[in-house]
Amino acid sequence: MANQTNSSTEMPNHLETATFDGKNKVLGFWLFLGAETVLFACLFGTYLALRNQSLEGPTTQELFDLKLVALATALLLTSSLTSVLAMIKMNERNLKGMVTWLVITLVLGLAFLVLEIYEFLHYIHEGHTFMSSAFGSSFYALVGTHGAHVTFGIIWIITLIAQAIRRGITTETAPKLFVSSLYWHFIDVVWVFIFTLVYLLGKVG
Amino acid sequence: MAKENNQAISRKPESAVKHILSFVLMIAFTAAAFYIVVSDVVPSGWVIPLLLVFAAIQVFLQLFTFMHLDQKGTAFYTFFMIAGIFIAVISAVGILLM
Repeated sequence: MANQTNSSTEMPNHLETATFDGKNKVLGFWLFLGAETVLFACLFGTYLALRNQSLEGPTTQELFDLKLVALATALLLTSSLTSVLAMIKMNERNLKGMVTWLVITLVLGLAFLVLEIYEFLHYIHEGHTFMSSAFGSSFYALVGTHGAHVTFGIIWIITLIAQAIRRGITTETAPKLFVSSLYWHFIDVVWVFIFTLVYLLGKVG
Repeated sequence: MAKENNQAISRKPESAVKHILSFVLMIAFTAAAFYIVVSDVVPSGWVIPLLLVFAAIQVFLQLFTFMHLDQKGTAFYTFFMIAGIFIAVISAVGILLM
């Protein structure tokens, strides 16, 4: 009992770390995010090394449309906010509020994904494909891996919403919801670097 | 009982206001980053360093507000992330200079 009060004062009244199991989940997830950082860094390094090797295909300056990228950025950034608002509702044990914010997060994530698919189709039409040049390969490897993360995040959060509706907000479901929120924020962190180092840097030259 | 009350009080600061404020800052830095690229308000040599600074600030905001690293008991999480970023920078710069 004494132990319990002690641990809960460290992170006051957070359902996700209320149990030992929940604490381990969050701790393990941060280790995973550390590893993910390295994965994306390697893809960024590859892209930055090869981004000017576009052969006869379109260059970054010709290809990128900043209006589209700005819209995608706004969508993903807002979804990061709604995700953290969902976590606040979760710790208030407000299931309806949490699900509402999570659904908004999902809708924004889906809209981002649709934009990205549209963008890729447009690029393929312009002759910029995975096989067209080293720029193409490294671009799709990096941005595609990020898109795959968004896709996985959407599927994951859908399943967690279904579980939360059936079982409610408990010490078992809360850590899962919390780490999915961390994952979603991490996706947004990666996107900050993509719009800076891929799109904006591509326009600067 | 007194302890429970304390917990309830210390939990209050985790309100939406902090996150919304952080979100507004992120949007502002994003807009600034796009703006310095499309306009020439900044001398061309300064654009890339400024972009990197803006990105770093945004990542800091994400980690310490949205991802709750500003709270107590998160030392290990921060350590994992710093270790990850350390290896990430070495890998990325290594590949770039290869």
